[in-house]
Amino acid sequence: MLDVNWVWGTALLYIAFLFLVAYYADQRQKAGRSITANPWVYALSIAVYATSWTFYGSVGKAATTGIDFLPVYLGPTLTAFTWWFLLKKMVRISKENNITSIADFISSRYGSSQWLGAIITVITLMGVMPYIALQLKAVSTSFTIITGYHDFHVGFMERVYIPSPHPGLFTALFLAVFSVLFGARHLISTERHDGLVAAIALESLVKLMAMLTVGLCITYFAFNGMADIFQRVHQKDPQLLVRLTTLSDHGDNSYASMFSILTLSMGAVMLLPRQFQIMVLENAHESHLNTASWRFPAYMFLMNLFVMPIALAGVLMNGSNVGADYFVLTLPMQLGYPWLALVAFLGGFSASAGMVMVESIAVSTMLLNHVLLPVVIKLKPRAWFPQLLINLKRFGIVLVILLGYLYQSVVGESYMLANMGLISFSAAIQFAPALVGGLYWPRGNKAGAIAGLLAGFAVWFYTLLLPSLLRAGGWQSDFLMNGPFGIALLRPQEFFGLSGLDPYTHTLFWSMFVNIGAYLSLSILLGQGEKEREQVDRFVRVFAPESATPQWETKRLSKPVTIVQFVNLMTKFIGEQQANVAITDYLGDREIDGKGGVSEFELPNLKRFVEKTLAGSLGGAAAGAVVESFLSDIGSRMEPVYDIFSTVRTSRDQSREALFVRLRASEIMNRSLELDIIMGDLLELLLREFKLDLAVIRLLNEESVLQVRCYRGIGGDRLTAEDRLLEIDTHVGEAFLGRRTEFFNDTAFITKPIAKEIFRREGIKSFAHIPIASEGSQPVGILSVFSRSIVGLFTEQFVELLESLAGQMAQAVRIVEEREAKERERRQKEAALLENARVTRDLELAKQIQLSLLPESPPTLPGVRIASRCVPAAHVGGDYYDFFERDNQVVDLVIADVSGHSVGAALIMVETRSVLRAQIKEPRSARDLLTLLNELLYDDLTGAELFITMFCARYDSATRILRYANAGHTRPLLFRAGNWMELDAEGLILGVERNVVFEEQRIELQAGDLLFIYTDGIIEAENAEGELFGIPRLCGLLGPLSDLEPEVLIEKVLSEVSSYAWPQPLQDDISMVVMKVA
Amino acid sequence: MKNNLKQIVLHRLKLKDTWVICFVLGMVMMNYPFISIFNKPTLPFGIPLLYLYLLVGWVFSIFIVYLFSRAARKDSDTRGHM
Repeated sequence: MLDVNWVWGTALLYIAFLFLVAYYADQRQKAGRSITANPWVYALSIAVYATSWTFYGSVGKAATTGIDFLPVYLGPTLTAFTWWFLLKKMVRISKENNITSIADFISSRYGSSQWLGAIITVITLMGVMPYIALQLKAVSTSFTIITGYHDFHVGFMERVYIPSPHPGLFTALFLAVFSVLFGARHLISTERHDGLVAAIALESLVKLMAMLTVGLCITYFAFNGMADIFQRVHQKDPQLLVRLTTLSDHGDNSYASMFSILTLSMGAVMLLPRQFQIMVLENAHESHLNTASWRFPAYMFLMNLFVMPIALAGVLMNGSNVGADYFVLTLPMQLGYPWLALVAFLGGFSASAGMVMVESIAVSTMLLNHVLLPVVIKLKPRAWFPQLLINLKRFGIVLVILLGYLYQSVVGESYMLANMGLISFSAAIQFAPALVGGLYWPRGNKAGAIAGLLAGFAVWFYTLLLPSLLRAGGWQSDFLMNGPFGIALLRPQEFFGLSGLDPYTHTLFWSMFVNIGAYLSLSILLGQGEKEREQVDRFVRVFAPESATPQWETKRLSKPVTIVQFVNLMTKFIGEQQANVAITDYLGDREIDGKGGVSEFELPNLKRFVEKTLAGSLGGAAAGAVVESFLSDIGSRMEPVYDIFSTVRTSRDQSREALFVRLRASEIMNRSLELDIIMGDLLELLLREFKLDLAVIRLLNEESVLQVRCYRGIGGDRLTAEDRLLEIDTHVGEAFLGRRTEFFNDTAFITKPIAKEIFRREGIKSFAHIPIASEGSQPVGILSVFSRSIVGLFTEQFVELLESLAGQMAQAVRIVEEREAKERERRQKEAALLENARVTRDLELAKQIQLSLLPESPPTLPGVRIASRCVPAAHVGGDYYDFFERDNQVVDLVIADVSGHSVGAALIMVETRSVLRAQIKEPRSARDLLTLLNELLYDDLTGAELFITMFCARYDSATRILRYANAGHTRPLLFRAGNWMELDAEGLILGVERNVVFEEQRIELQAGDLLFIYTDGIIEAENAEGELFGIPRLCGLLGPLSDLEPEVLIEKVLSEVSSYAWPQPLQDDISMVVMKVA
Repeated sequence: MKNNLKQIVLHRLKLKDTWVICFVLGMVMMNYPFISIFNKPTLPFGIPLLYLYLLVGWVFSIFIVYLFSRAARKDSDTRGHM
């Protein structure tokens, strides 16, 4: 016996140390530097599998039934071969779906069924209760054994007579506090619990060390090694050794029990809630599975290495296997090693504590998510809901542990430890068909899983739990021996007369038979719900590469939901801060539209994300129900999209129909150049291939109005007749200005009042406006399609197809427009040419007329020869000359130059001629004539902003006297005997001032004189260098030629001036009058 | 040659099939009728044969899983974390 205060003090110290370690790990986790995200810690924490049942019970089992204690640990070693794919798959699925427990895992696979979750929770609770009871019992029993007290005895309390707490109750309370503190800090169950895991790992280390220490001491100090122990037993009782170390044909230590315990333990290590919690939920990284898969079996090996020697040593020392369950504790005391007993006690306590803590947290999560939440979420969410939920979870932990305590108080005293463990294992294995089938068999369905679980559970209860309860209660009644109502076939432990098996094999066989049978048959007979099918992909094909899954959304929300609404929903359950963090994570770089929503195609994703986030706290089933009821509250729901492309997808992103339509559209575009035909055919194609009722194409015209260019389909007068202005308050305008497709899958939720009214009247259920635009350029129009029958027609895929068609359409429009623009340009050019030709012809005519206004031939006077010529620079010109013969001897001679050589100048010239002709009848001197002309023409000239230079002369051939006056005209040249002079007379240009006085000069000509009267076109002719022809050059030319005939002379001058100016044409009109006195 | 063999073994160990085969093999070797070979009341090295068989088999299988995890680790080292 050890001093109770010693035990007490050591235990308290150890507990304090556990708290410290857990607290430290928690702090490290908060700081983001987890110490438990480590493969060693992970492997050690999985060793939570080794409970006090292992620590104490293995020895007990080894001493009573023999070698069949080993398969409990050999099984997990075998499963380690499957971890790298099976456990990894479970971990991956759990991480991706925010799974919170094994119940959540299985129910999520089968369409987040709340029923399935609840059933699993109930089975777990019933199956695990004896197991927890076992742990608490182990602590109190070991305390009693080591101290000799049956209560938690504190020395000084003996004097005050206060009833001391039962050690089991004390342990229960301590474990409850610990679990609440480190296992339920947050509502989010998917977050790792570093404090808890650190404590578990430490406990695993302690229990291993304790076991090894005890084993080594007994085997090598008390005895001389393992062989020595076996030898002694062999000598003492060979029969016993043979019984304990070989398998028999039937009974407890048989081949059959070997098989069933192996199977049960393989199931247990994967399926017990605490194993799932530690291996799957607390896994920090998938690669840790890798090393844990050999470290954990190695741990198990070391843990069991000395079990057989201790058991046999106990049998040797005590003479029998009575009290073998606590040999680990009693042998050291018998051998006189109290400290070793204390070590063993701490090891046993660690084994119990670890199991109870993890199990209670796991079961409490299941209780909250699958039993309490389905009720809670029926209530109206309140602000204090997050608080309520976390406290419910804490309460659940306490409840589970206290229930375990209650169980052990009522039934626990009578039954062997190992049996309780195997009862639990037999319950846990019921999950195996649903879980393994769920992971690898796509056809497995909810009905099968529920039926299998219920049937297996019923068999387990009837053939294993019930008998054990009856036996514990001492009611070894008729019921067990003869079956209910004396029906032998229904005897719980020989069901249908199946006898000769140990109880676990019997239960395993029958429960698996009905479980698997129900699961398989119902899965094959019945189909899967839609939600189940969705989940199958996430479970069975979790490792399928992303690219292998279809990228198209097959669901839509019937009424759009905003992000804010979703955030509010999450806030109600997980608190505002968590909700905001989650949504920020999700949105990241996703596009948000102006109304604070995501695109309609993104909504189902967002909904799933919200579900997943909630699932991390509430479990999948409850989260699904919460979101579902939220959606139905706001009048929305998930519905399948109308699958317009029903055939098998030929490639990842295109269906055969889509390809066909694209092909046909290209054909249409290529077949015709007429936009109207293209548009008409395209719309007909759309109406024919898809269930559309109306399709309209509007193109932007020059007045920036979207004008209806083409439509097909029935009805919709307002939709087809009205053009649309580019305004944001119409959907068409919005699509055009926003340059993106505007579509409504359900016009019931439209907000623009006018559109709503139109669609209501027309009975339009869904519609889309697609901008007709080539890549990256401004839209040229809008393609609108309407459906009267189908809500949710516009899937991402369909919209993409329509957009691509609109893109093709834009190409066609552009090509047609370009062609039309070219055509227009050509016609304009043609017209211009025609016009030009007409003007040219008119001007030619005018030229002819103008030339005909000049004297046909110079006058013939005796003693003088006159020649004249006018060469207009353009068609018409402003030069003018005329002769008026008074009688046979006198001639009036006029030469004038209207400034410019335009049509205007020509008209003035004509006017001048008319005025001159009218006035020339009167015999006037040259001076008077100019004065008169100036007066008469002044107004017109000023109005036309033109002026005239004019030279007027009268020659009398009898006297050879030339009288002349000059109104600013180029001075005529007179050549006489090799010399030349200019005939000068003062006078202002006509049209500058109203009253001008002109000077009149007279000169007598002599025989041989050559008078050269001309306009400035000659001397102002420019050559290529810009030099003027000039008077000196003219005189130099004329001087030697003065003997020639006037006609010839004119030709010479003309050709000389032309060649001088070459290659330019003459810039000004040229007129000359040459008079040669004979 | 030795290197080649190592590569081949490593590669085979990466296959899921190998894991499954080992699992099935272990299941067979721990059950009737295979186990009846060792189910004899003899004491080689002073230790019961069946007990010895199970312990040695256990160590052996742990070693095999260790090899597996080595191979798988190499695998995940080169391909990033799976």
